[in-house]
Amino acid sequence: MAKKKINLNLSSVDNREMRLGSIISWDGSASELVEASNYDIRGQKKTGGGCGGGKGAGCKLCELNMPFNQQTMCSHSIVGCQVGNLPDCILIEHSPIGCSAIHPRFNLGFRIGLMRRGKKVENIQIFSTNLLERDMVFGASDKLRRSIRDAWERFHPKAIFISMSCSTAIIGEDIESIAMEMEEELGVTVIPLFCEGFRSKHWSTGFDISQHGVVRQIVNKNPKKQEDLINIVALWGTDYFTEMLRPLGLRVNYLIDMASYDELAQASEAAATATFCHTLGSYMATALEDEYGVPQIDAPQPYGFAGTDDWLREIAKVMGKEDIIEDYIAREHARVLPKIEELREKLKGIKGFVATGSAYAHGMISVIRELGIEVDGSIVFHHDPVYDSGTSNQNTLKHLVENYGEIDHFTVSKTQQFQFYGLLKRVNPDFIIIRHNGLAPLAAKIGIPAFAMGDEHFPVGYDGIVRVGEALIEILARKKFNQVLQRHVKLPYTDWWLSQEDPFILAKQPEILDDPIEAVIAEKKNAV
Amino acid sequence: MTEVKKKKKGNSIVHPRYGCAIGAVNTVAAIPRGIPIGNCGPGCADKQYFMISFENGFQGAGYSGGGALPSSNLGENEIVFGGQNKLDDLIKSSLKIMDGDLFVVLTGCSGELIGDDVGSIVRKYQDKGYPVVYADTAGFKGNNLIGHEIVVKAIIDQFVGEFHGKKKKGLINLWFEIPYFHTNWRGDYIELKRILEGAGFEVNVLFGSESKGVEEWKSIPKAQFNLVVSPWVGLETAEYLKEKYSQPFLHIPVIPIGEEQTTEFIRKVVAFAGIDNKKAEKFIEAEAERYYYFLEHFSEFFSEYWFGLPARFTSVGEAAYNISITKFLTDQVGLIPVKQIITDNTPEKYREGIRELYRNISDGVSLEVDFIEDGYLIEQEVKNADYGSSVPLVLASSWEADVVQELKGLLVPIGTPITSEVVLNRSYIGYNGALTLLERVYTATVK
Repeated sequence: MAKKKINLNLSSVDNREMRLGSIISWDGSASELVEASNYDIRGQKKTGGGCGGGKGAGCKLCELNMPFNQQTMCSHSIVGCQVGNLPDCILIEHSPIGCSAIHPRFNLGFRIGLMRRGKKVENIQIFSTNLLERDMVFGASDKLRRSIRDAWERFHPKAIFISMSCSTAIIGEDIESIAMEMEEELGVTVIPLFCEGFRSKHWSTGFDISQHGVVRQIVNKNPKKQEDLINIVALWGTDYFTEMLRPLGLRVNYLIDMASYDELAQASEAAATATFCHTLGSYMATALEDEYGVPQIDAPQPYGFAGTDDWLREIAKVMGKEDIIEDYIAREHARVLPKIEELREKLKGIKGFVATGSAYAHGMISVIRELGIEVDGSIVFHHDPVYDSGTSNQNTLKHLVENYGEIDHFTVSKTQQFQFYGLLKRVNPDFIIIRHNGLAPLAAKIGIPAFAMGDEHFPVGYDGIVRVGEALIEILARKKFNQVLQRHVKLPYTDWWLSQEDPFILAKQPEILDDPIEAVIAEKKNAV
Repeated sequence: MTEVKKKKKGNSIVHPRYGCAIGAVNTVAAIPRGIPIGNCGPGCADKQYFMISFENGFQGAGYSGGGALPSSNLGENEIVFGGQNKLDDLIKSSLKIMDGDLFVVLTGCSGELIGDDVGSIVRKYQDKGYPVVYADTAGFKGNNLIGHEIVVKAIIDQFVGEFHGKKKKGLINLWFEIPYFHTNWRGDYIELKRILEGAGFEVNVLFGSESKGVEEWKSIPKAQFNLVVSPWVGLETAEYLKEKYSQPFLHIPVIPIGEEQTTEFIRKVVAFAGIDNKKAEKFIEAEAERYYYFLEHFSEFFSEYWFGLPARFTSVGEAAYNISITKFLTDQVGLIPVKQIITDNTPEKYREGIRELYRNISDGVSLEVDFIEDGYLIEQEVKNADYGSSVPLVLASSWEADVVQELKGLLVPIGTPITSEVVLNRSYIGYNGALTLLERVYTATVK
């Protein structure tokens, strides 16, 4: 039997920097990052070969450590927007109330997600144990028990998740024992998730933690195969996959946002698992493959002609639909091509910039390059040199460079707004495509409109290319608003910083911080 | 009844309506050229931003909040080995990179639990003359209302400093709504400043578009007195200032809405200050004339609309908006309050005083207000209130959307979080705001 890539025996998950060698700070060209990532060697290690993985010095990806950081997101947040988004399960956040302050944002996403999937639209119901100072001193286990009982009495959920926070991890709350104890008492599945914010330097570890809990404790352990069912590991995106996969006779099972308990449980019964983003989906797909033999689609992602072709062919291969796939692909090309050519004409001479999660950015850049838009700079919020599958066909960055060419300035930066100024100035794009918060406001103030890609499935497939092209024409019109801002609104950064050409200078020459800043301060005092 | 009371004692909260103490990063960001620095986990300030600013009328972060906010993003390494070096680096680089006049380090749960001596690091910069302040705002210390006062006190203590000069008659320090948390704060500060200036005062508003930033903060000790316009937030600050600078304070617990209350408010403040009232009376006369010009027009709709108007309402929200809006609608419009719930976890010592205000809200109307923070229980109460035969009017947050839909009622959002409206300079207070509030309530009715 092949070596397992995912360890489901433990309730906790190794973070991405340990498992995959992920980094959050790097600058260079896309092809340099492909090379430095050493994907294939790292992948072999996952199946027992390779150079010893992240622990060997030869495999460590260089990172630029910055002494200055701005506020970002944490794994605990990600868990909330994953298993907190299940209509018939309940998440309990074992923490002070501040850890739950993002619920209004999750609620908005959840309600729109339910609407997109044709489910009943209703409020999210995440609990907080609402801890205070005395709980930090005397422990908070009884409050957790009380909240679990409250959740059970109020909603009779099909499963209850508990998420650990920084504070409860530091004071040593034993959520695993309490989960077992309450599972016994109430007769409902209780799943502890170790997602305290300090656990990983990147929030995407929170995806793995959520998926780990679902595969370990919810997925049906005695699956009855459903030959026409395909798992799509997704977020809140519009259901474009049903339309794309119907010609192949497939039904889609979306995991895990908005899924019912039963939909999660049947993940092990599917004929395959695919995703719109390997950063998100690789852990779950690999775990389902390891544990239940559900094959994952060993292909890059469904973006642009090249990616969508490869992705559909691989699905057809796994599903035994090879006889019809070439005809389907040819028909789709013929259908969308005239429209795309029209858009290429309209978007001629335009330059774009992508700033999103890692593998998703690779797909997004493919789509806008497909539209003839120039891209010579982009940001990913972290970089995984390999995915959990370890298979070379999923090397999305390599696929991007090989099919759509070099990106001269390819930067890894975790939503660091102060760096974004220099990164944009370096390439001067006409627009940015963005996910997560914090960066777009800066672009807005220097005259660059942002396309907030709130529906992550929007660019997927052949129609996705058309959708993105049409939306961009509307986004570009907004430049007028951004130019007004540019003329009148000041950025919160010093002229000294804005005049730096290298956004990573602090990592390379930290001593420049020791220059006397007294002069700056004195000047300010005089101004007052 | 006792059964229900007992049930309310649980700790669980769903549908939260406030953030934690480190939510006061937004208080700092509301001071022009003030720069908050988070000494906390990687997601802390981000989460507070969503509750207090973004999903609260989509206000936006302004100059130095949101994604611009420097943060130590404490990781496993700092939890184990301490975060002092990282914080030192962060402060040093913030002073060089961020263009600000006042830097406030706010320490969150993880920073406090690992026991780093933040004070000694910050004092190193203070000794060199840098405008850096630190505040202990661990989330377990309380909610963002508490955090707001901790931060205000820290700035006064460590930045404003000692003062032995002369007081300036007619200069007021205004302690009013919590920036960003009170959804309409930007418009409300503009309106209240307009009113106080119209009456002949100079005002340190301290936050928002009308503030002069640190210069204004430095002049806090010069003020003749402190004016607290809020049921309880700001009282600690006023007490502290009374002791520190021998400044008296006037506490007006109910934010004035509508002509009668606003005029009464002006007269109280003028009498307390002992300034000449001629300017104030002239201002009142002009404002009143304009106000009733509009009210007269509105009264035609109010008395002749054939298709049904709401009569009974519930109000759910933090204490300041809840009591002031309830009072206006009850005392000035003649709507019938059926359920009032304060959701801000008001400290026990202030609750009885607030209950008394509700008991005397208007001639012939006495209310018993509830204090509940758990959204599940709040929504049950809203659902079970008796709205009589007319369409239920619910003044609450966006969390109440589901229950209002069930009631087939009207939801007018008045407090955190609000995800169904974009708020810029709107105000529901004073002379002008009262008219906007009427517009908002009755637009919902005719829609």
